[in-house]
Amino acid sequence: MMTFLLRRLLISLVLVFLISLISFFIITLTPGSPYPWGDMNPQISEAVKENFRKQFHLDEPVWKQYWFNMRDLFTGELRSIKDGRPVLTRIGERLPATIALNLCALTIALSFGLLVGVYSARVSGGWQDTSLSTVAFALLAIPEFWVAYLLIIGLTEWFAIPLMGTASHGIIFPNALAAWLDWLWHLALPATLLALGGIAAQSRYVRASMLETLREDYIRTARAKGLRSEIILYHHALRNSLRPVITGIGGLLPALIGGAVIIETIFAYPGIGRLGYQAVLERDYPTLLALNFITAILVLLGNLIADILYSVVDPRVRLE
Amino acid sequence: MLAAVVRFFVYGIPLLLLALLVASFLTVSSFSTDRKNELTIGSIGEPTKLNPIQSAESGASEVENFIFEGLLQYNENLEITTLLAKSYSLSQTSTFYFSDATAATAALAAVESARGSWSEWTLLNARTDDARLLLDFTLPGLGASDKVLALFTAQPPLPLTTLRVSTGGKARATLAQFLKLSSDLAVERTWFDYDSAFEITVINDGAALREKLKSFLRDTGVSEATAEILETRPYLAEPLVRFQLRDDVRWHDGTPFTSRDVAFTYRSIMDETVASPRKPSFDLIQKLETPGPHEVLVTYRKPFSPALTSWMIGLLPAHLLEDKPAKWWDDNFNRRPIGTGPFKFASWKTNESLRLLRNEDYFEGAPWLEGVVFRYLPDPIALRLAFMTRQADYWGVDPWAVSSFVNDPRFQVFQYPSNSYSYIGWNLRDPLFQDLRVRTAFAHAVNVPQMIKYILYGNGVQSTGIFLPHFWFANPDIAPVSYDPATAARLLDEAGWAPGPDGIRVKDGKPLTFTLIVNQGNEVRKDIATLVQDNLRSIGVEVKVEIYEWSVFITRFINKLEFQATVLGWSTGIDYDAYQVWHSSQTNPEQLNFVGYKNPRVDALLEKIRQEYDPEKIHAMAGEIQKLIFEDQPYLFLFVPNATAVIWKDSFRICRPDGKGGFVDTPVEVTKAGWTYYIQWFYRPEFAGPLPKNREVRP
Amino acid sequence: MNTPAQTPLGRILSRFRRDRFGMIALAGIVVLFVLALVFAILSFARVPFPMDPNATDLERKLLAPNPVNWLGTDNLGRDLFSRMLHGSYISLTVGFVAVAVSLLIGVIVGAVSGYYGRWVDNVIMRVVDAIMCFPTFFLILTAVALLGPSMLNIIVVIGLVSWTGTARLVRAEFLTLRETEYVRAARSLGQRTPAIIFRHILPNAFAPIFVTAVLGVPAAILTEAGLSFLGFGVQPPQATWGNIIADGKTYMLDAWWLIVFPGLAIFLAALAFYLTGDALRQAAETRAERK
Repeated sequence: MMTFLLRRLLISLVLVFLISLISFFIITLTPGSPYPWGDMNPQISEAVKENFRKQFHLDEPVWKQYWFNMRDLFTGELRSIKDGRPVLTRIGERLPATIALNLCALTIALSFGLLVGVYSARVSGGWQDTSLSTVAFALLAIPEFWVAYLLIIGLTEWFAIPLMGTASHGIIFPNALAAWLDWLWHLALPATLLALGGIAAQSRYVRASMLETLREDYIRTARAKGLRSEIILYHHALRNSLRPVITGIGGLLPALIGGAVIIETIFAYPGIGRLGYQAVLERDYPTLLALNFITAILVLLGNLIADILYSVVDPRVRLE
Repeated sequence: MLAAVVRFFVYGIPLLLLALLVASFLTVSSFSTDRKNELTIGSIGEPTKLNPIQSAESGASEVENFIFEGLLQYNENLEITTLLAKSYSLSQTSTFYFSDATAATAALAAVESARGSWSEWTLLNARTDDARLLLDFTLPGLGASDKVLALFTAQPPLPLTTLRVSTGGKARATLAQFLKLSSDLAVERTWFDYDSAFEITVINDGAALREKLKSFLRDTGVSEATAEILETRPYLAEPLVRFQLRDDVRWHDGTPFTSRDVAFTYRSIMDETVASPRKPSFDLIQKLETPGPHEVLVTYRKPFSPALTSWMIGLLPAHLLEDKPAKWWDDNFNRRPIGTGPFKFASWKTNESLRLLRNEDYFEGAPWLEGVVFRYLPDPIALRLAFMTRQADYWGVDPWAVSSFVNDPRFQVFQYPSNSYSYIGWNLRDPLFQDLRVRTAFAHAVNVPQMIKYILYGNGVQSTGIFLPHFWFANPDIAPVSYDPATAARLLDEAGWAPGPDGIRVKDGKPLTFTLIVNQGNEVRKDIATLVQDNLRSIGVEVKVEIYEWSVFITRFINKLEFQATVLGWSTGIDYDAYQVWHSSQTNPEQLNFVGYKNPRVDALLEKIRQEYDPEKIHAMAGEIQKLIFEDQPYLFLFVPNATAVIWKDSFRICRPDGKGGFVDTPVEVTKAGWTYYIQWFYRPEFAGPLPKNREVRP
Repeated sequence: MNTPAQTPLGRILSRFRRDRFGMIALAGIVVLFVLALVFAILSFARVPFPMDPNATDLERKLLAPNPVNWLGTDNLGRDLFSRMLHGSYISLTVGFVAVAVSLLIGVIVGAVSGYYGRWVDNVIMRVVDAIMCFPTFFLILTAVALLGPSMLNIIVVIGLVSWTGTARLVRAEFLTLRETEYVRAARSLGQRTPAIIFRHILPNAFAPIFVTAVLGVPAAILTEAGLSFLGFGVQPPQATWGNIIADGKTYMLDAWWLIVFPGLAIFLAALAFYLTGDALRQAAETRAERK
């Protein structure tokens, strides 16, 4: 099993490099200039621009730029064109906020997904099930930025509650708990919106796999033996439903990182999504390259871990 | 048992989450409205580097203005005044070169006898040095020297020529090598543009020298090198600025501020590894000397009156930055700057907030506010939300919301003309726009007053050319183009564009149609484009509107000069030097005269006005430039919008030094320099305790 | 699984017809489709019905819903209702064509991978894995920034980045189906590979592919709306539901209708597709269950 995983990882790594090369080509081909002082500043002379291009290898052919950038990325010396700081530092300072947001969203998605899924499975076929599945699809079909704005309009107009960034500003907090709850509040709204799609997907997975398990012979036998239906439900059926939950985590990770751009922008949340979006707008090639590459590696690792967990949870799965 | 645990996971966790959400909501909504003694500013443009010589974005200067200070500043009436300098004085040394010492002595005698016949300036000092005659005038510029030159008809001075050689690197070594080979050459001045080019000034016309340089460069194998003659003049005119520095200023770390810091800042700007975007303003400096710790002498290579404002640049602490590599700057200083200003840097969370604390040792006295906080938000709507939820203390009101804020007693609104104007630029290389009648017709056909009324909600005035009405050198006599579709139609008829069968005008079988490009993300410009499309359709012109992301818009279309017409705006400093935008030499790709405007009379005036130091003459010339360009209609000048800012009623007052040792206490008010001019002296009325008791209070 | 009396599709549809929710959702799609078609024609013919979607009238800007402008007007006084109607076909076109592009690529890649198996499968699936590692949204953003935000480019880019799921699904189907008796029989009869793929395997894999396609449409519609929101969508003056919201967000505190109605339209359209897709999936699954 180990050799299989290793081989797979190696091949994927090579491919990730190849694809990052292609995406770097796309990025650098994109019209627009990476100058940090804007494109139409009367004060900037040609000599200054040329000097700048030289400093960041921008006058070299693309493959050479890629080589320089990759080399610098691995030595930790890759610097943003925009502010001259190491790209890894820039990404690193966003990590706590991003991880907090995504963990929070993941918790909401999984727990509510499980709740709704289990409940729909119990009432399967009834009107509650039908309406819950409609709600689940409604959650998938809602444009998240739209709900975000509706929420914001409501909360600002009726409650005048701060909801931007990671904390309220200019306020003297009465105690530490209040400060903590304030932080939680700023986390909760974007996380909930991010989790909407996840709740829907998770609840569908859980429901389907629970129904499938309940139909299996050994459950029927257990039931015939007079085992309490609660135990059957929570012990046997749910255990088998862990599989989709794990796949769900694997599938949600990349979506959460990439899909947070809009929500982070709306809520002025200082996460990686906004960093990437700004880098696209500013044509900050080194930051974009590093972001693409690092996320790809993380997702790769995430998939790998999901695979391993899979085989642990469900012994029927053999990795070969 | 197990079932109970699982059950807790299934039902308990969601419940717990819900409970936490409700608890946090209740907590946040119960916060009192008591504010910290701080000013919070919501902003979209987050700085990348907090270093006045390395940044050029408005987001950075907004912060830097609190931390860093320059030698000079604008006062509330937008006049130049001192800040870190105690005083400054201008003068100029003009050097005339003669064939021999006797000719120079004769010239000196002629000057002495004419002394006293000039009223606008004084001749401070006149002396000869071998074959050179050196004259010191109180007023820089060419006027005095030209008058003097007229006296030397008997024995005219020798011309001086300045050559520029671009080597693409190793300029210093190349020049040294060349001078070693040609030891007979008398080089009067040398100056290096980084290490990639140099300029030398020699006596006589430089044609022979240019050839010599060229062959030298060929021989040494510097293949990409070019040598060109920049200009030939009858004398050297070198303005001099003498600054006396304040001696009571300390950096935020306690080190005294001296002339060494000024010299260091200048050296850094000129340093290749620093890559300062501010360098062009300092390129005209020949040398900077520091005779004493509180004295700075700046010698310019030629008269260039706008150069004085460049000394408003924030100065850097030499004791911290000297001999440190550029990377060190980026990793340390540029994220944790140290200046001399009223506020000190405290902390910075990227994409979130930047905090400044008051400088207790500020030389004019510590500010009343404990801190200034910048909150970085992604878009204008977020700024407004932040203001409405009291997360930011003021908001630059969107035009359509102005009236609702003006009429709301909860707010205090400030309005003042912004330093910007909007226009439609016609690409004058396009045959369609080469016809003045067509451009004028379009100007008559676009309903600018309606635009101001409905897009700006009346908060703006129609533009009358390249200088804004509230600038002191603007021409007040220009009338804006009237909205007059009939005249527009007549002009198009005259230009040969006759109405076609489908309503679109036609000439030589070609329909009258063009593409108007706009950058994405600017609602006002998008609206302008739509209105122009509508207005022009009614006189038989078809306009296609295309919208592009800003970078693409600039690099693919504007910089490459590949566009027909565009909606844009300039935000301008209070600067009468419009050379880069309107001179005919600036029409190449990536330059700012992207519409391709060429007018020899305007060119001459643009060259002359930058060398003039006399305000009256500057005013006259600027008025002429504005009039000439307006008559040519290379832009359809649209409007100068008003800026509107709003704060919660009575959230701030101002208590500032009155300049006579006391303090005045006034409400927040608008000056010519905007409503934030006294921002460092803002205070919150609920924290009025520490204010001086004997202040003069104005309600 | 033996000689089917009905085509697989026919069987699914007959089951689908019994699903009340599915039928309502399908009816919604049909209405939307007809509306989009009608207004696409009106748009191209420049018929100002109910009003000209691009005619500005500054005297009537930012009006709340009223008897003349049923859904209010925008910042240039354009009628929101007309703009939404005339923009309806854009969202649908983006949804359908992007899915078609992704299906085309996904089916071919998945079929090749699943049919040939072994190293071909291995290589292709690793490539798919690697592509799935990259944050899709950034890729779309950069690609649209590179190509320029026209409707065609947006469709192609969305299609190009969303085929991986389909490819995996098709591959899985093919892996199972190629081992079935009739495929073996066909192979032993010496039929050529394309014939086997298209005549024998693909029709049997049709149901899951069709369901993925139906579920892919709302995803593409939502992606387009998200792009529009960030300013990378189809550009004005051509109205789309996405860019009406994007333009209107600046005014949202003064004119709620500018974001409420177009958002509702996107939501309802996407919901109709999801519900139809789900009903179809259930109908298809029932088949598998009773085999």
